[in-house]
Amino acid sequence: MVVKTRQSESPFSSGRMLDEDKISKALDMATRLGADYAEIRLVSETTNTASLKDGKLERAIPGQEVGVTMRILADGAWGVHSTSDIESITGQIESTFRLAKAVAARRSPSQNMVELAEVPIIEDEIHWKSAKDVRDTDLDQIIEMMLAVDNEAKDDEKIVSTATGWSDEHIHTELITSEGMNRTWSFQRSLINGMVTARDGDEVVSYRMRHGGEGGLEVIEACDLGEMGRNAKISALRLLSAERAPSGRMPLVADRDLTGVYIHEALGHPCEADLVAAGDSCLEGRLGETIGSEICTVVDDPTMRGGYGCYPIDDEGVDTRPKNLIVNGVLTEYLNHRETAHRFGIEPNGGARAQDGLHHPLVRMSNTVIQGGTHRDLDELIEDIDFGVYACGSRGGQVDTGRGSFQFAAQEAWIIENGSLSRPVKDVSVSGMTLEILKDVNGLTKDARLAAPGFCGKGQTVPVGDGGPLMRIREALVG
Amino acid sequence: MIPDDAVERLMDSALAIGAECEKANVQQWEIYANQGYGHSMEIEAGRISMASGGGDGGFGIRIVEDGRYGYAHLVDINSASRAIEQALSIAKRSPSIEGFELPGNKSATEVGGMKDKAILDMTPEDLLEQGDQVLTKVTELDSRAVAVGGGIGVGAGAGALVTSSGIEYGGVFTSHGIGIHVSIDENDQLTSSYEGESSRKILDDITSSVEKAVHWAQVTREKIPGGDTEDCPVLMTSDGFSPLFSVVVPSAIRGERLAKGESFWSGKMNQIVMAEHLSLTDDGLMEGGMSSGSRDSEGVPSQTRSIVDSGRLNGELWATRDAAKSVAEGRVEFAESTGSASRGGHTSPPLCGCSDLILSSSAKTFDRDRLIQEMDNGYIVHSVMGAHTANPTSGDFSVTTSTILKVENGNVVGALSQAGLSGNLAKALSSKVILGDSSIRKGSYSTGSMHVPDVLLMDGLRVNPA
Repeated sequence: MVVKTRQSESPFSSGRMLDEDKISKALDMATRLGADYAEIRLVSETTNTASLKDGKLERAIPGQEVGVTMRILADGAWGVHSTSDIESITGQIESTFRLAKAVAARRSPSQNMVELAEVPIIEDEIHWKSAKDVRDTDLDQIIEMMLAVDNEAKDDEKIVSTATGWSDEHIHTELITSEGMNRTWSFQRSLINGMVTARDGDEVVSYRMRHGGEGGLEVIEACDLGEMGRNAKISALRLLSAERAPSGRMPLVADRDLTGVYIHEALGHPCEADLVAAGDSCLEGRLGETIGSEICTVVDDPTMRGGYGCYPIDDEGVDTRPKNLIVNGVLTEYLNHRETAHRFGIEPNGGARAQDGLHHPLVRMSNTVIQGGTHRDLDELIEDIDFGVYACGSRGGQVDTGRGSFQFAAQEAWIIENGSLSRPVKDVSVSGMTLEILKDVNGLTKDARLAAPGFCGKGQTVPVGDGGPLMRIREALVG
Repeated sequence: MIPDDAVERLMDSALAIGAECEKANVQQWEIYANQGYGHSMEIEAGRISMASGGGDGGFGIRIVEDGRYGYAHLVDINSASRAIEQALSIAKRSPSIEGFELPGNKSATEVGGMKDKAILDMTPEDLLEQGDQVLTKVTELDSRAVAVGGGIGVGAGAGALVTSSGIEYGGVFTSHGIGIHVSIDENDQLTSSYEGESSRKILDDITSSVEKAVHWAQVTREKIPGGDTEDCPVLMTSDGFSPLFSVVVPSAIRGERLAKGESFWSGKMNQIVMAEHLSLTDDGLMEGGMSSGSRDSEGVPSQTRSIVDSGRLNGELWATRDAAKSVAEGRVEFAESTGSASRGGHTSPPLCGCSDLILSSSAKTFDRDRLIQEMDNGYIVHSVMGAHTANPTSGDFSVTTSTILKVENGNVVGALSQAGLSGNLAKALSSKVILGDSSIRKGSYSTGSMHVPDVLLMDGLRVNPA
């Protein structure tokens, strides 16, 4: 193991909250009891959420939350204790150690012990400084920015309501382990979103918009908020007269949002090594195998500054780096944490994330992006499609990682006829099997970038970014 | 699991924050405090992978000044003064709503079945033994089956609500839940099913979810080729139906959305909106109800409220502020709280949502086998992927299922590997619908708990086999 110390990028955080001496003594006690490993991780979050309804402030909520989680590994099994009462955590060493021992006692000889891959033991602080610290943003500024969206979104008699939301957070984490790891890090996220509801007689539709990323106020200022509101209004009005989408197998072209959701659901989740280890991934045993079209290269990158899924250090204290999940169609890497890295005999790659200080880390995605291809633009992607669908904007998706089946839904879509976009349609969802559809990707535009920010649920919810270029799939099941 | 004086401690803390509000001359204040405790264990790859315990909690402060409101949340009571200042500052910028005041103290009906001593007495070791039973049951039922994921948990929560208008209310509730994901992976074919249940009382049979999960992993193994896309009757199990129902319906029955034209039932009060034998009731007083209690989240006495009676829309849900706002804006002539405020913990102010929402039928109901006969030709859908992508504004949905059986001439002839399922839930519920003869409680993708039939036969859906 290597011990190194790094300078922090800036004195951005508000100081340590854990009593290092007390924590170190508690972790020593865990070791004396017989623990193989013990850690205490604290997360303090300073948050602001706000919302407008029809241009009026509906709510603004400042919050300060803190949570601390202790993990103890004993006899190859985990015991965990989480609490919002920081002072009480060190009193739980013995009971948490006993929990781990009780789990270990139930393991049959044929079952794997939990062991952790070695990682560099680091003592440092890393604080990602925002250009404009979001904690300095006052409510009047927030309202002004939400109104910039709202004013443009509601400007039509068929728009029956608008809702605009704001969320920012400053996340401060401290991790101290029995191995000597002692790391502190902090960063910020900012988000603005909205929903427009339009009505024409009995027909009611809604359209959602979202912009955000890692960073402070500058993230929101970089967005043309008026244009975002205007576009949402136009889309909602268009949906009012859109017909229901056709059903069946057909060529599909996805915009950046949907390309991102597709790659997140269809590939990202099955690449999570905890699911692979559990026997719940269709990608088990396929490292090195060609699973997609050779034009597909997919990266999950928590270091992609500005992405909503960024983080400087993972929640096991491992430095982050980009992970090449697929390179030219070949599956090259799983997302992992220390436990799965040991299990598969590979290097930990910084994929451990917990929802907050009250949850333990799982293997999660960060910013997942399919790299650009060779097609110039949308026109070139659709020019040789006789009949298909161009689908835009995400309403979310889901995956069954074991079977390898996935589904995602679009906010709006167009029929492609004879190489051109013809009429708008609505209620487009797309489903398929990961191992089939990845091979059917047969066109990508050149310009890959992150799309709208999202949230990923896996028992715990974490912010993620995803995106890519416009993507063409030879044949997909549109429902 | 929970200290005997948990409620008293929370009440004392809430009263202390209330006293700070009084010192700051706040006109009206409401302090919500909660503290949760629990044990859980996780299952992964056919073994117990982790056991955990702990607790968390905090405080929410809502203040109202001249119809304007502000909210702040905190964990450390020592930062209450700052949180009160923040809430006051926000209130000053908020629009004033004429007639909006915090609810007064009215007498409420006690609701039983909220806690079970047997849960409070459960130890982590007890929970691990339940995990052993679950894993053993999976193997007993099918040696090919593996519990690839899931877990069991018990929890106890204490809550307190104190307001300047005299409400001082607190209580303890318990829960016991299981979720289990079973796969059968044989001959290059993997089938799986996820099942779960929860209760305020200790679950009588922790392994009943295992039986269902193994059953569905087994019956979906006999694959047949998918046919053409067709509009046909579909028999949905509660697991398939309730996620869609919980995304679409609770949102549609909120008074504010109805008043603003944001619901597919807007403008249809006292009109037929569902099949005439169907009724929808929101019961905030259900004994042992997972979303019931004697008072709602802002202290208003809970109610049992008819929303749809014999197909006719006759009710809606309101929280105090929504009601005052809709009246002040002239959207409705009269509205008052229906005891429908709920919140997702101390970080959230009270918002309008359903409690224990019950879909029932006055027509004859049937068991599953009889409904299959009734359907004659169609599909049985057990679970769906992507229910959260359903559109609650329109009721439209387009989801995917991998647990779908084809029925021909009243007999199950095999399983499809995958199919799309689409339609409009509001329209489907107003068409031909027959309910199964027992009701099951399910969780919700939005608010409250859903009490839906174990199976229901619906028309007007489209099945698009892969």
